[in-house]
Amino acid sequence: MAVLDEIKESLMEGDAEGVKAGVQQALAEGIAAVKIINESLIAGMQVVGVLFKANEIYVPEVLIAARAMHAGLDIVKPLLAESDVQDKGTILLGTVKGDLHDIGKNLVGMMLEGAGYKVVDLGVDISPDKFVKAVEEYKPQLVALSALLTTTMVAMKTTVEMLEPYRGQIKIFIGGAPVTQEFADEIGADAFGADAGNAVEKANELIAKLTLHN
Amino acid sequence: MNARERLITSLEHREPDRVPFDLGASLITGIHKTAYKNFTDLLNMPEKEVKIFDVVQQISTPSEELLRKIGVDTRNLSPLSSSQWTLNYSEDAEYRYFTDEWGIVWRMPLDNGFYFDMYKNPMAEIDTLEGLANYQFPDPTDDARFVGLRQRALVEHEKGNAIVLSSMSAGIMELGAWLRGFENFFMDLALRPEFTRALLNKVYEIKRQYWEKALNEVGDLIQVVQEADDLGAQNSLLISPKMYRKFIKPLHKDLFEFIHSKTKAKVFIHSCGAVSDLIPDLIDSGVDILNPVQLSARNMDPVKLKQEFGKDIVFWGGGIDTQSILPKGSLTQVREAVKRQIEILAPGGGFVFNTVHNIQPDVPPENLMAMVEALHEFGNY
Repeated sequence: MAVLDEIKESLMEGDAEGVKAGVQQALAEGIAAVKIINESLIAGMQVVGVLFKANEIYVPEVLIAARAMHAGLDIVKPLLAESDVQDKGTILLGTVKGDLHDIGKNLVGMMLEGAGYKVVDLGVDISPDKFVKAVEEYKPQLVALSALLTTTMVAMKTTVEMLEPYRGQIKIFIGGAPVTQEFADEIGADAFGADAGNAVEKANELIAKLTLHN
Repeated sequence: MNARERLITSLEHREPDRVPFDLGASLITGIHKTAYKNFTDLLNMPEKEVKIFDVVQQISTPSEELLRKIGVDTRNLSPLSSSQWTLNYSEDAEYRYFTDEWGIVWRMPLDNGFYFDMYKNPMAEIDTLEGLANYQFPDPTDDARFVGLRQRALVEHEKGNAIVLSSMSAGIMELGAWLRGFENFFMDLALRPEFTRALLNKVYEIKRQYWEKALNEVGDLIQVVQEADDLGAQNSLLISPKMYRKFIKPLHKDLFEFIHSKTKAKVFIHSCGAVSDLIPDLIDSGVDILNPVQLSARNMDPVKLKQEFGKDIVFWGGGIDTQSILPKGSLTQVREAVKRQIEILAPGGGFVFNTVHNIQPDVPPENLMAMVEALHEFGNY
């Protein structure tokens, strides 16, 4: 399995070509696509999340690691057998109404994808209505709301309120610079993610809770 | 002691008669038009039309009457627009748009929008030296920018006010990111070092030429040169210290040394977020003043900052947290927060009172008044 470790190393260095070459080699060695994804690409992004949270790497390194992960996924995903395709869950992601910022949201999206989730990114300035429509359309397990500013984070509250009828099926988690656990409690969100790495931990916890209850 | 003497004394790390107060002397130490309107209504000083100082952030130009009433020591001095560019808006069903002189497209929601945010980055597809060479950048020395600059400076000088001179643009790293788009630019830093250096050098050169001409005009009349470069996020730096030292610091150092060679004014840098790890580098690069001292970000404890760096850098900002206390706190909490920040940051000078970043539309005017009253009550040396 040395090749899987090599892919993981290349991914963490943001070396997309190295990841591609490693994935090709792994396939040539007969390693199953699903194993390549779980044990090199997802495993690599998990380490990236930990290092990012610990301030050992920063935004540029996370971005090039995510790019390298995609280079690998592009090769292996088409090879997955129908039975292999089991995303950990679908997450609807968006920056709330009135807020047009997306750097943090995009990082969260990349880390969630890297953790094996299917991420539907709605973009920025997303009204509560649009979140509701997207919940109907994509049937996600989790909804992730982002806001950068004190003036726009209030739109998280109205979004959470509008999603009330769906709370049996979905869990909502929130994040962004001024957002705190206290605010999450105040508006009735299920969790708060302090950064992109922490968002993955919170998503995993929420998914576990949902599975437990359903 | 007039306002200018008060500010200079504090910038020289000595104690003036009271803590100098800035509101609105830069586009990152100001007040949003909505908060301004609420505040002037409360003070019974309503204005027919609020003048806009910064279009993107919808920051107001406070009236001279208001600034005097609340005891603000600083005044802004800004260049005019280049003759090559005018502000033109367009609209669709949802947004209002404009394109700035760098070619960056901004938009604001029509329905209760607070600010303009970046929508299109003009160099998103340009990542080669050849593409860079062919790109049309603004002319920093266009004469129209400097029309009347010295006269306006003289007016404020005569009044004894302290003058903060604005830049023509965002910071060096900021402009790299705004021209290329954040994700492209951050990946450029890791993947395309040669191109990134060339792009940042180009931006540096434009800024240097601007400062040369501006400081030739008014370098003898101003007290502060306002620069910026956002290097921090809420919990960390945006890029590693190593990457900062490799790509950005040499340009900061050259630019700030150049500015120092042209004027006695102090170099002010705005850098949001958790930037404590880079403060020694900023000091080494020639930064005299750090803004906004974002108290709520990681490792930005003002006690520690004052102790470690207070002798070498002036804190301009950090007067009150704007992520929770100013918009959401009680009047007592606002008063206590201001008192505490003054106790921490004022001793020995080296402190100019300002909120952490612009005052946003969600700040109750009563809280703002409580802040001003607390500053007057506790701000005397």
